[in-house]
Amino acid sequence: MIEWIQFILGAIFILGGLIVAGIATFGIFKLKFVLNRMHAAALNDTLAILLVLFGLIILNGWNFGSLKLLLIIVFLWFASPVSSHLLARLEVTTNKKLKEECEVVE
Amino acid sequence: MSKLNPNYEASKWRKIERFVNGEEISDNPNLSKHEEEIREASQEDKERNEQFEATITDLEDRIQKERKRSIEALYRKYEKWPQTKGIKIFTHIYRILAVLFCVCIISVLLMTVSYLPTFGDASNPNNNEVPKRYIEKGIEETGAINFVAGMILDYRAFDTLGESHVLFIAACCVLILLRIDHSKNGKKPTEKAEAEEDDRKFEPKNDKILQKIASLLIPPIIIYGIYVVLNGHLSPGGGFSGGAIIGAGLILYLNAFGYEKIEKFFTYKTYQRITVGALLFYACAKSYSFYTGANHLESGIPKGIPGNILSSGLILPLNVAVGLVVACTMYGFYTLFRKGGM
Repeated sequence: MIEWIQFILGAIFILGGLIVAGIATFGIFKLKFVLNRMHAAALNDTLAILLVLFGLIILNGWNFGSLKLLLIIVFLWFASPVSSHLLARLEVTTNKKLKEECEVVE
Repeated sequence: MSKLNPNYEASKWRKIERFVNGEEISDNPNLSKHEEEIREASQEDKERNEQFEATITDLEDRIQKERKRSIEALYRKYEKWPQTKGIKIFTHIYRILAVLFCVCIISVLLMTVSYLPTFGDASNPNNNEVPKRYIEKGIEETGAINFVAGMILDYRAFDTLGESHVLFIAACCVLILLRIDHSKNGKKPTEKAEAEEDDRKFEPKNDKILQKIASLLIPPIIIYGIYVVLNGHLSPGGGFSGGAIIGAGLILYLNAFGYEKIEKFFTYKTYQRITVGALLFYACAKSYSFYTGANHLESGIPKGIPGNILSSGLILPLNVAVGLVVACTMYGFYTLFRKGGM
């Protein structure tokens, strides 16, 4: 019984993560400007990865492997927002047509 | 034929010539007159001919002009054809050909896959005496629990030496191409030229968010890299992967804090010393097999108990050497491809 609950919970989490990743991919191809696309890609970086890895942790049970997965989540949640922040900064400094693409708060 | 003689037509030689040619010979003096008439008539003919030719050339000119006009009209008609209809036809053909090409390649690859031997089958050609020996006597002979480490750093350590030399030579080539020589003619370059060559000075001040996160993340990254290197003989990993992790940590440090901070502990000199020292150590440690006919020999270092960190003889120091070379090469590549060099 507990195994079944574990499996279903894990499957729900992984499927949710896949759906979020699909929405993010759709957004990357649909949106036109770099900063908007980055907004869509951030969904993939954080929520989708969190859901998928959390589902894997539930499926794996409580052991050393799960601790490693938890560490991966922590690492990605530290690293990917910072990297997309740097990319956005680069875009703002290099794109000359930025004000045509979106509103810029000075 | 002498044209100088004015009475050539009446001369003897002319008669003989006529006789030889089989022409009618007559002494009739009217003949020359007759010939003159004929000549006049032919002249008239010529004039007529010229007129006729003139009319013909005129006509031809007209025809060519007509042709030109019609060709120009055609050009005008189809001038925009490639931009409107032609490009549509081209894209259609292109798409069809692309799909056909992809289908062909996919089918060829799938056919190849279907001819591959089944995975893990006992009768596969790769199941011969070599992996059998590795599996049965690997731990006993090398002392490494990780068979792969035992293979690449003990049985085939010479091969791995060559691989690390490939990395070293690649880094050397990049160095030759991209390094900035500061004292080319023995004199120091001006500040402006230096700034043009070295765009570190134009780089914006580094991000505070990046610096905070980097100071949090870099210690775990480098410690994890060291863990992977030192556990190369116990768990998957080893010199190459651990070295890559350490190199990535160094690159992150460089990006977050800039050259001034990283040059406090990692300069071009340290890079040189570490790579050359590690490669020399590796070469010295393993080149004895050159002189013993490439046989696997005892290294002289006790193997220890398999499973301990300090075990398996030479594998651990060799892993460390490979890891140092790989980390330095990664970092070196990154810095050399930026303007300004290491």
